[in-house]
Amino acid sequence: MKFKTFAAFVGPSVFMMLLFIAAPLVSVFIQSFQVTQPILEQIEVETCTPGFLTQTCTTEIKTVPVLDEAGKTVTATRWVGLQSYRNVLQMDKFWSAVGNGSWNQIMQIDFWKALRFTLSFTLLTLPLVIGVGLAIALAVNNATRSIRGPIIFISLLPFIITPVIGSLSIYWLFVGDGILTAMMERWSGQNISMFAQAWTIELLMYFYRVWHVAPFAFVIFYAGLQTVNMDTLESAVIDGASRWERLRHVIVPHLMPLIIFIALIHLMDCYRVFDEIVGFRSQAHVISLQWLTFDFMTPDDAGNRAMSRASASSMLTMIGIVLLLIMPLRRTWRDHKGSAH
Amino acid sequence: MFLKKIALAGVVSLLGSAAMACSYQNEVPVKSLSAGFEAWKAVTDAMAECGNFQAELDQEFRTKQPAAFEANPSLYQIGGVSNGTITPLLNAGTIRPLDDLVEKYGQNLSPNQLIRINGQIMAVAMMVNTQHLMYRSDILADLGIDTPTTWDEVYAAAEKIKEAGVVDYPLGATMKSGWNIAQEFVNMYPGHGGKFFNDDNTTAVNSDAGLASLETMKKALDYTDPEVLVSDSTYVQQQFQQGKIAMANLWASRAGAMNDEAESQVVGKVAMAAAPKAVADGAPATTLWWDGIVIAKNISDEEADAAFRLAMEGLDTEMVQGANDAAIWLVGGYEPTDIATGAIETATANPAPPAYPSTTQMGLLHTALGNELPAFLTGERDAAATLIAIEEAYTTSAKEAGVLK
Amino acid sequence: MSTPRAMRQSFALRFSSGAFLAFWCLLAAFPIFWIAVMSFKSPVDAFADSAWDVITGPATRANGDGLSIIDIALGVVVLFFAIRWAFTKLPALVRQYCPPGLIVLGWIVGALVYAITFVLIFFGLLPLILGVLNSLLGPLGTPVLGMTTQHYIAVWGENEFYRNFLNSMLVTAGVVTISLTVGTLAGYGLARSGSDLAFWLLILALIFRALPHSVLVAGYLPVFINSSEILAPIFGEGAPTLYGQPWAVIAVLVSINQPFTIWMLRSFFQNIPAELDEAARVDGCSHFQAFRRVIMPVMWPGVITTGLFSFLLGYNDFLVTALLLDAQNQTMVPAIAGYFNRETTTTDQVEAVAAAVSITAPLFLLVMVFQRQIVSGLTAGAVKG
Repeated sequence: MKFKTFAAFVGPSVFMMLLFIAAPLVSVFIQSFQVTQPILEQIEVETCTPGFLTQTCTTEIKTVPVLDEAGKTVTATRWVGLQSYRNVLQMDKFWSAVGNGSWNQIMQIDFWKALRFTLSFTLLTLPLVIGVGLAIALAVNNATRSIRGPIIFISLLPFIITPVIGSLSIYWLFVGDGILTAMMERWSGQNISMFAQAWTIELLMYFYRVWHVAPFAFVIFYAGLQTVNMDTLESAVIDGASRWERLRHVIVPHLMPLIIFIALIHLMDCYRVFDEIVGFRSQAHVISLQWLTFDFMTPDDAGNRAMSRASASSMLTMIGIVLLLIMPLRRTWRDHKGSAH
Repeated sequence: MFLKKIALAGVVSLLGSAAMACSYQNEVPVKSLSAGFEAWKAVTDAMAECGNFQAELDQEFRTKQPAAFEANPSLYQIGGVSNGTITPLLNAGTIRPLDDLVEKYGQNLSPNQLIRINGQIMAVAMMVNTQHLMYRSDILADLGIDTPTTWDEVYAAAEKIKEAGVVDYPLGATMKSGWNIAQEFVNMYPGHGGKFFNDDNTTAVNSDAGLASLETMKKALDYTDPEVLVSDSTYVQQQFQQGKIAMANLWASRAGAMNDEAESQVVGKVAMAAAPKAVADGAPATTLWWDGIVIAKNISDEEADAAFRLAMEGLDTEMVQGANDAAIWLVGGYEPTDIATGAIETATANPAPPAYPSTTQMGLLHTALGNELPAFLTGERDAAATLIAIEEAYTTSAKEAGVLK
Repeated sequence: MSTPRAMRQSFALRFSSGAFLAFWCLLAAFPIFWIAVMSFKSPVDAFADSAWDVITGPATRANGDGLSIIDIALGVVVLFFAIRWAFTKLPALVRQYCPPGLIVLGWIVGALVYAITFVLIFFGLLPLILGVLNSLLGPLGTPVLGMTTQHYIAVWGENEFYRNFLNSMLVTAGVVTISLTVGTLAGYGLARSGSDLAFWLLILALIFRALPHSVLVAGYLPVFINSSEILAPIFGEGAPTLYGQPWAVIAVLVSINQPFTIWMLRSFFQNIPAELDEAARVDGCSHFQAFRRVIMPVMWPGVITTGLFSFLLGYNDFLVTALLLDAQNQTMVPAIAGYFNRETTTTDQVEAVAAAVSITAPLFLLVMVFQRQIVSGLTAGAVKG
């Protein structure tokens, strides 16, 4: 294919990605090395606010931004190098905590706390999603043909449901005396609070993610199972291979590209875990990297947002994800080189 | 059944809109952006009767408002603000002084409603809000407990209720990590006599008053639901409605829900009192809030005129009478009912609690508090270390925002 | 046909795999079933501690809203036949009345007609008949199960949720169409070009896909709000304000979705033998003509599957739509989240649940209709990595 034709085919898609993804990305990259501040001045302000029936007036010194003639806030932007990264990583505290050998102290630093959770979330749910997805696919493939349709339908429900609603529906089952917590309390005879300590919340978040994503893995594996070569399986049976051996030596290798595909998608999606933190309100106990970024740039009541730290933390998230993806992508590169032309 | 109900609803809404007409016909298109709680629904509905009006009741309004008002022309003419969220608009100078408009259309406003900054009217308040003590009057009467007036008395009462075992948890608290838990500290700290900032904009929370506030807050955990770090005001309100808690320091705007027959199992059993004091001779440990309207600067004078006239129509006596219990209104025609007693006692206490001190620094400190306090309440960090962490978090973000050098 | 030996299995295996499936189905469906139950109860019942109270709804029944045994029996029968009919007769009808080229459109129309008929019968006709029956039958006709549709009426009537529904449809339709048009071209180009540039484009797309969305979205907001000032030098006076415009949101969602779309479609096209279009090119077609004449007719399974994923993204998106759309153009998901803001009541929450169940219904229909296409599309190669 000539370059010109190629460019015409991919042009619109690349243009949209450059405009709406690459451009913001570049600006985030630049902002992570800059700090933009309003020029501030201190003035005396008298503020009168309502009480009930009568007003109270207070006079105080307030720090407010300077406005130019056009009424816009005057801001100054300076390059600060890696300062924002240092503010996010807090390496001095990190090393002193490492020096003390205190895991607890490291976990007091937001970034490292978020990184710990994000990594364990990603790496723990990955095998679970693949395992559960594969198990469902095999079981459905085993089932009678007539009930497969309804089962596939039900299995897909957790995947298609709007994430905001899915996580809320599980949150409600467990929060306070939600019916499942109440049920567990009756079995165990103890007062159980699922949202009172970090590990139970984490457990619920793992559960939700597997519940939500396993159907996606399932449907892809199920599609893959339809193309398993029957002859190979038959000959494996004739060779006396047990069911387990056939699974290991015929089916799993056949599904390997799909497993890698799922793993790739899952790594990317999990590493930017965010919905669960908001849905399960876990900020007090566990936070994730994307939540940290989000928190930096959510404006407070006074309109401040920590854009520089938000940029730095999102660049750090990016670096993390590229590191995670290198492994599975090496294979894609080999395939590309092997299959080219 | 179903069809009948729909038909009925249609008729009622037709009748309704015919009965509550506006006193004039608005010709200039006007848009507003505000939060979405009950009081705002009442006000914007009243404004919509005049025609040509679009209300945006948006939970993201905090994120959108500063940017939308800075655009030229501003995307909205009317903004709904509280004393917290007016700060970015004031700082950026994107709202206009209202003195001449108040003179023209504001005959029905009381002086109390006019928010003056350096003498200029910058906003018109419509309601006040505060956190105050709500308690199950039946339980306290059964156990012979007087209405608590200080936090020590609250905990003593909670101890008795716990021993009696009449409810699941004696206390409810809005300690959801983030904005809510920070607000609890902001209530408690001035009650202990603390001040938030030194003159050079560094924070002063790392003090004895800070330690005392943290200790008072932590005592609550003996009596609350262990899941208190995820509970926001709606959750506490539900616990009340379901009869699971007996006392809570909760927003005045939540009081009406206690007597809502459709939701509540404790109708008529919840009473309101002034917010408890942190120290016996101090002010109630809470802050006063107001909600009100502002008019954008980057619009034509005609639009501003139309917008303000429309807003006055929304803030009239007729609207208040239709939604009397939706808020503690400042608008004429408001009849305080039983559920408003707590809020009024709080606001008129002597010494009175401070208004929420909204400034750029306070915004930064509020965020720092919201992020660092949970570790103290889960027991991962002791009080002194927590105050140091708050100080450090504030210093980092204040430097980034240019407040500190 | 006798079962191949490889497929024969012991009873224990069949039993355990069946049990596992049953358990999984319970797990998959229960939370959704549960919010559906909650949505029909009064606030007191919906958030009750005991599961039994939530199901039977004593407080709802006390308000005079409830179902009698006869209601339930008849309702279940109608529901059973409706679902059965959807799986057995509906596909045949669609195939019969629809010209073969427009099968996708036929399905959409079929599904819509089916949904409307179902709603009319189930919520319109059935209550009328049952009202008469209940008054005739005495004890069988007294309510035993508390149930109320008041939250649905409040959501769709008073809160005008249908406007959010239409906005959602607009945004979703836009996202699916544009995403597939742009993505199919790019996917085909990438599949047929073995160059290193193509490879690096794919890798770049992958990294783009990995970006945290909140970073991107926060970057858009100031630009979108001020776009009429920013674009004024180019477009003059008529420069649009992008904030609040559905088409601007569509563009953003399409871009965010592009990486996934082109990856899916590329691997799908790779499984269409290159000999097909090479033969066409030998006959004198250009690449574009070859694409249109040879590839387009055989690409539908893969495109439908990819389209479904685009649909899910557009329909379920919260972060982008919540921040970039104003109230008039608000889609359903942010509208529901709006019920959960700082100042909310229990009734609001149950209404939110009712709205949530309502927005899940179209997804149900969609999966019911396209279920076979998903599997066959994926089987046909859209996932061969």
